[in-house]
Amino acid sequence: MASIIDIKEECALHVRDFEFTYKGAESPSLKKITMPIAKHSITALIGPSGCGKTTLLRSFNRMHDLYPGNTYAGEIEFEGRNILSDKEDLIHLRTKIGMIFQKPTAFPMSIFDNVAYGMRLQGIKNKTELSDRVEKALKDAAIWKEVSDRLKHDANGLSGGQQQRLCIARAIAVEPEVLLFDEPTSALDPISTQGIERLVIELKERVSIIIVTHNMQQAARVSDYTGFMYLGELIELGETEKLFVTPKEKLTQEYITGKFG
Amino acid sequence: MTAVQKRVLINKIALAFSTLSALIALGFLFWILGVLVMKGISALNWNIFIFEGAPPGNPESGLKHALVGQAILIGMATAIGVPLGILAGTYLSEYGKNSKLAHTIRDISDIMMSAPSIVIGAFVYAIVVMPMGHFSAWAGAIALGIIMIPVILRTTDDMLQLVPGELREAAFALGAPKYKVILSVVYRGAKAGILTGVLLGIARVGGETAPLLFTSFNDNFFTTDLNEAMPSLTVTIFNYATSPYEDWQQLGWAAAFILSMFILGLNILGRLILLAGKKRK
Amino acid sequence: MIDKIFFNFTRFSALLILIIVAWIFTVLFNHSLEAMSTFGLDFITKDEWAPNLDKFGAHAAILGSIISTMLAMMLAVPIAIGVAIFLSEIAHDKIKGFFGVSVELLAAIPSVIYGMWGLFFFVPIIRDIFGGLGIGLLAAGIVLAIMILPFMAAVTRDAMNTTPDILKESAYALGGTQWDVIKDIIIPYAKAGIIGSLILALGRAIGETMAVTFVMGNVHKVPGSILDPTTSIPVTLANEFSEADSSLYFSSLFGLALTLLIMSFVVIAVAKFYFLRKARRA
Repeated sequence: MASIIDIKEECALHVRDFEFTYKGAESPSLKKITMPIAKHSITALIGPSGCGKTTLLRSFNRMHDLYPGNTYAGEIEFEGRNILSDKEDLIHLRTKIGMIFQKPTAFPMSIFDNVAYGMRLQGIKNKTELSDRVEKALKDAAIWKEVSDRLKHDANGLSGGQQQRLCIARAIAVEPEVLLFDEPTSALDPISTQGIERLVIELKERVSIIIVTHNMQQAARVSDYTGFMYLGELIELGETEKLFVTPKEKLTQEYITGKFG
Repeated sequence: MTAVQKRVLINKIALAFSTLSALIALGFLFWILGVLVMKGISALNWNIFIFEGAPPGNPESGLKHALVGQAILIGMATAIGVPLGILAGTYLSEYGKNSKLAHTIRDISDIMMSAPSIVIGAFVYAIVVMPMGHFSAWAGAIALGIIMIPVILRTTDDMLQLVPGELREAAFALGAPKYKVILSVVYRGAKAGILTGVLLGIARVGGETAPLLFTSFNDNFFTTDLNEAMPSLTVTIFNYATSPYEDWQQLGWAAAFILSMFILGLNILGRLILLAGKKRK
Repeated sequence: MIDKIFFNFTRFSALLILIIVAWIFTVLFNHSLEAMSTFGLDFITKDEWAPNLDKFGAHAAILGSIISTMLAMMLAVPIAIGVAIFLSEIAHDKIKGFFGVSVELLAAIPSVIYGMWGLFFFVPIIRDIFGGLGIGLLAAGIVLAIMILPFMAAVTRDAMNTTPDILKESAYALGGTQWDVIKDIIIPYAKAGIIGSLILALGRAIGETMAVTFVMGNVHKVPGSILDPTTSIPVTLANEFSEADSSLYFSSLFGLALTLLIMSFVVIAVAKFYFLRKARRA
């Protein structure tokens, strides 16, 4: 009943019959989801609140493992293996699949140390290498010009939009394959939002991107593929232009025309 | 070893250390609790509730004097501390709000809550015992009452602030004067919280020994005369435990057990009331 | 009319707190004047405490208070931080609930019980291991440490819990381990609150009477080692207040009480108004 298209590109991630159940819940929050995620493109997840889009996003880097008692079933394939396996090295996985959150999460340290944090965790100590890569990441996140003269300042002194770009710099500094964005602009003003959206589009040349958004226009503006979720199921996955113009499923049609949500 | 492997190892060691410290702490605390329960229960018997204090070696000795004295002292302290604390808390939440005066009172009261209780004893000695010329239940109760005020004040202030503003506005809209709004709407809304505050306040002063040492002093015999020295469980524990007589030490353990159960019971009850109140909402 | 009366009642009760505090300081100050004018600075620098000669030097008591508190802090701080980390980051929900409530309940146990336990169960152990009386600074420090541990752990845990989940998750999302998140995110983020909590516990420990009175010895002598019996301000007050027989003796005890009040007031105020206020703003 769900209509999932085949994608042209190679897959960065492949979700198959994936189910996720929160601790103590009687029924799974995500039901039998099968979904390809295209490499070097942007896949948006939309749907009314509670539909499971954030839950799905947080499964890709096994964020749910921070809270014991949650269970996964099915398969998420990444780099030829099932990352839901018990043997999966979560530290390694999370350096390969980075995440940007709903609110900017600048760590209580300097701008430089924020960006260098992930690299230091990987054991990079060489000062020139660190500062080269910090500079590159900040440039890629389009924030270098604003902070180059105050790298040693506390990151919490930056504005919300700047902090969010700092977080993006921090995430790309460790050179991940995939970046997960969880409603990254929900706490930002329209101008900062525009800046983040432009940045997300630029980034897809280097990473595969999945973005959860409550804002359909945002999905339409930035993404190549869009998945519509409802009550824990993936109802439809299609090329963004087609999905918004000629949805195949009635539920999708009703949602994008604002009949519910 | 790679940097990441090293990090994983350090993580394991650090978490093990912190778990170990938790076990050490818990070990000590359960050791104390265990001793208290074992020693206390083995020393408990009906005589404790029937007889008052007696010279060492007398089998007909008990804690009746201390239990009654403790109840009188706590009752009087509650009569002093609770109304003053609730009224003061009401002022802060309903009238003073964010004024400078209200904040100063909150700050000073917070400091008072952690200030050494023995100093309060010295103060009451100077203003009550010295003029009267002797120790008295009054002095002990005043000392405990003073210690109680900040505890009650703080919880009342917090709990009244939790009452939604719309509730007050709705009552005002019906034309009720402010005092009536406070008495009939705000207090009712914060009932469970205030009650919890009162119980915790009683528990707090119930375990105080130091401020009683030279106010109500102590006595080994039953009395209800408020103008005389008054026995209390806590000072009795101190006196009996530091005495060289084994039967007095036994009574000390029994008193310690009863006192601890009383205070733990009040704490648990207070939490349950607050929890039940939260659930209803 | 009634409105006005009710308002004045509440305002008076609130002002009463300020009045009482001012009153306490005034009374203690007035009563200690005699000792201050007799001994001057000697009161805090000399350690000869001889009631029969009417000589009172509080040096040993002040020093005893400071050393026993420091000893207790040295023992309790690392364990309290460990317990707080365990409670906020390691323990699973059920253990967290059970353990967390036990810690809070243990913080409510009267200190006289800790003192009694120390006297009967801990002092003999120290005596067996180190010889001597068992009673003294070390016993006082340890009992004090055990007594403030639950309070310290509970408030430190509360401070750590103020770290937003999303901030912790961000560090995990970069491949951090639990310990990385604790040391790089939680501790720096909650630093002011943690330090404030520890100092607040220190403020309580200074004024603690009963837990140490049992095991300290009340000997007015600067101790040569931590195994020696000595005294502290609250211990002296507890033991001697009801026995004092001259006005200078009383005055000296009031002087001690004033000293103790000022010490703890300053420590608590620093904790509350410098660190904990800063923590709340962040």
